[in-house]
Amino acid sequence: MSKDLNIWLDDLLGDIENIQFKRKSSRRVRVDVGSEALPALLELLQGRASYVHLSAISCVDWIEDEEFELVYHVWSYETRSLVSAHTRIPREPGVYLSIYDLYQPAAFFERDIHEMFGVFFEGSPDMEKFILTEWDGPPPMRKEFDSEAFVNQHFEWEQYHPQWLKDLEEEGGGVTTRPEDIRL
Amino acid sequence: MSKLDNIPVRHQPTEAAGRKRTNPLAHVFDELVKFCQSRSMFMLHYCTGCGAIELPPAMTSRFDMERLGIQPMVTPRQADILLITGYVSIKTLKRIILTYEQMQSPKYVIGICSCTVNGGMYWQSYATAKVLKDYLPVDVYIAGCMPRPEAVISGMRELMSDIKSGRAQNWKRYYENYDHYLGNQQKLFGEDWQTPTDIIAEARHYGLMTDRTLGEHTALLEKHQRPLEALEMRLSAREKQKT
Ligand code: SF4
Repeated sequence: MSKDLNIWLDDLLGDIENIQFKRKSSRRVRVDVGSEALPALLELLQGRASYVHLSAISCVDWIEDEEFELVYHVWSYETRSLVSAHTRIPREPGVYLSIYDLYQPAAFFERDIHEMFGVFFEGSPDMEKFILTEWDGPPPMRKEFDSEAFVNQHFEWEQYHPQWLKDLEEEGGGVTTRPEDIRL
Repeated sequence: MSKLDNIPVRHQPTEAAGRKRTNPLAHVFDELVKFCQSRSMFMLHYCTGCGAIELPPAMTSRFDMERLGIQPMVTPRQADILLITGYVSIKTLKRIILTYEQMQSPKYVIGICSCTVNGGMYWQSYATAKVLKDYLPVDVYIAGCMPRPEAVISGMRELMSDIKSGRAQNWKRYYENYDHYLGNQQKLFGEDWQTPTDIIAEARHYGLMTDRTLGEHTALLEKHQRPLEALEMRLSAREKQKT
């Protein structure tokens, strides 16, 4: 039964134009689709092909291509297989459609992506801050956010080898076994 | 050569100047109190990071911390030790400071894990605070990623012997150097950072006011301080939006 469904799905996806489709294993399918066709594809997968579970939406920042890649992972309990639908949207203005009306859990993922990458999802019920409620910097998972510079600007570091220890060592005291002498 | 005063040493107990003890039994009584204190420690384990995983084995029958008199406690107001088990995000750090300030003195802080010492493997992360002792006085650090229960227990024993010998006086530093700690907190949380506990009044109460308790940062605090209001109670976050 599930095998038939898989074959049927392969046929179906192979027939649609403007879609690149790659079967990675018996239980994983990768689909690359244009951003205008993605909601329709998901609707098809959910309504006709039993992919009723949205596992996750993930986002990748391709800063050199000036694009965000959104990946929608949908799972079917019938065929026990996962379809990952990849789509790319321009980085500016970074706005896309919500799929909340298809999959309600999407609200959760979209809110998270909005917070971490600044992608706005039109039609999503809540685009408020989610985890980073006390954060007012730029969305931190964007590639242009320099975490290291931020850290160096905001935090002091503990000194491992302060001046007083160096002075002690000059007098022959201090740490007897240095970290670099320890070979593991 | 640095001056001897620049070398950070453990806080030495300051003898109450000019006050001679006449009762020969007072000393004995002090010793007894210290011994009892070191033998009944209630720890509030505010589990912040992954290092918390090592606490259940340390507390339960395998390593059994209770034989040393260390027990978990559920509220900060009844706890002696604040255990910080791993990385603290900036959001968590605010809660830690609130919790710490509500604990009764004498109170002790133990920083478990490398993350509390210098950021650990999250040194690059925008979300975690790096050096815990900038924001709170820490009594014992237990390094390791993550330290084994043996290490945790040995750190606890270290603290116990410090309490017994009267060296564990770090909680006084918070009152004595409040301006320094508050300054670091303000740097991270913004100028209008305030906690419900009035540390300056407490410092006065304990007689721990020094010239480092008040300063520019506490002046800033006074400028921004809002009187406390009772928290609003509502059942769900949505309810308010609708009305
Ligand atoms: S030191 Fe290691 S185990 Fe401990 S909180 Fe950091 S990452 Fe986790």
